[in-house]
Amino acid sequence: MHERLSFHIKRDSVIHKLNPLTKLTLILALILISFTSPWYWTPHVVLLLAVIPLSGLGRVFPEFFKAATRLILPAAGFLFLMQAFFQPIGEEVIFKFYFLDITQESLMFAFRNAMRVFVMISAFTLFLLTTHPSELMSDLTRRGLPGQFAYVIISTLQILPQMQAKAQTIIAAQRSRGLDTESTFLKRAGSVLPLVGPLVFGSLVEVEERAIAIEARGFTSKNSKTSLHEIPDPSFEKTIRWALLMLVILSIAANLWLS
Amino acid sequence: MKIEIQDLRFIYPTGLEALKGISLTIEAGEQVAIVGQNGAGKTTLVRHFNGLLQPASGSVLIGDWDVKKYSVAKLASRVGYVFQNPDEQLFSRDVLTEVTFGPKNLKYAKEKIDELVKRALSLTELTDKTETNPYDLSPTWRKMVALASIIAMDTPIVIFDEPTTGQDAVNVARIANVIAELRKEGKTVITITHDIDFCAENFERVIALSKGQVLLDGPAREILGQEEILAQTYVDPPQLTRLGKRLGLKETVRNQEEFLNSL
Repeated sequence: MHERLSFHIKRDSVIHKLNPLTKLTLILALILISFTSPWYWTPHVVLLLAVIPLSGLGRVFPEFFKAATRLILPAAGFLFLMQAFFQPIGEEVIFKFYFLDITQESLMFAFRNAMRVFVMISAFTLFLLTTHPSELMSDLTRRGLPGQFAYVIISTLQILPQMQAKAQTIIAAQRSRGLDTESTFLKRAGSVLPLVGPLVFGSLVEVEERAIAIEARGFTSKNSKTSLHEIPDPSFEKTIRWALLMLVILSIAANLWLS
Repeated sequence: MKIEIQDLRFIYPTGLEALKGISLTIEAGEQVAIVGQNGAGKTTLVRHFNGLLQPASGSVLIGDWDVKKYSVAKLASRVGYVFQNPDEQLFSRDVLTEVTFGPKNLKYAKEKIDELVKRALSLTELTDKTETNPYDLSPTWRKMVALASIIAMDTPIVIFDEPTTGQDAVNVARIANVIAELRKEGKTVITITHDIDFCAENFERVIALSKGQVLLDGPAREILGQEEILAQTYVDPPQLTRLGKRLGLKETVRNQEEFLNSL
């Protein structure tokens, strides 16, 4: 049965090998620069010259492209339309649609904002595609993030695929008892209860079992923990992170300076 | 009701070929145990019997029905399937409603439903627990509720997916008793099991699967004697069978009675 615990795709690439914190810094820097840089074309350039090449470098371009066209493009497109129509700026109307006016200014404004959002979501997609969540979390807890926090994030990422798999089995079990889940709407509506009951109950039991299991391994112990899995963090990556931080500060400074 | 499987193949979306051409005939009223290592294709095979999985190629006939042409809900009137984990199946507030759910879906007459439910409850020794919420019962009794809820559907074919896993000796005996009763009623019983003693004591025919193919198929006495071939799918014959072999007994023995008789 098909089961996937995260977006992560295991491949051998430069991006995959980077320390998770470096990757996180990188994408946050790209996003912040897209949002703060005073130059109009920044988000477009960031997308074309950073995010897309990076997805190629990380050898996840096909998956990245699929997510971008099916998921991010519609979202950004919707935002573009909303802002283009409803932003009351500019005088020169270039297009009229009933009572809605589109001006050159609103068009430009909407285009940039849509691009910013596109950069934000696509950068995060790239991050999720190339970083295993547990690697990210063990790196962050090693740097001082509380374990409870990491647990909440990890279990949230895992709960959806797990519940999905469970729901599949429950549906199969009830259909085997003659439950009609395929015909009329009324019948299907009536078939919800036999599916939801075991799903909710089973998930609660699982949460409790998992809590007991990790506590049995000393989850709340105050002693410092060792990790079986070493995550490398070479010194040049530290340099990269500082450089990225500087770029973000520059971008914000430029923004404040020019406004 | 006869089950006819012709060159059945199945491939999971991950590309794993789980069944690589299986042909079998199971006659009406046969008691069949399916054994084999994890991943041999046992569950994948029986999930074709009630349409939960569709063949990639080949065919499965349940009586005169081709499973490709009928929905799971329809096939439920011919094939009852007890899932491995009762918690994935039970949802009602009390045992009686739970057991009534299946036969009601099959739209039997009211009197027939009452009769079937009563019989299923007495077979599984649940008659005094009809008012209880299934989740207030111990896991072993929940298993019996799951069994009862399928038996009450009165299907000519009943499938059990690892019924004895995690059950104590008393409950294993109860499950064996249920299977014996179903045999008396002339029903076909197909059981997937890793419990080789349970298999030896309760089934006439054994099918051993290995890597998506039939490794051995025949009378239990014959199959359980073939220690070397069974080892290919990581199945050990029952201890007494192996002991009998070491002692050089002429016949393959399956249980205590046969063992003592041939000594």
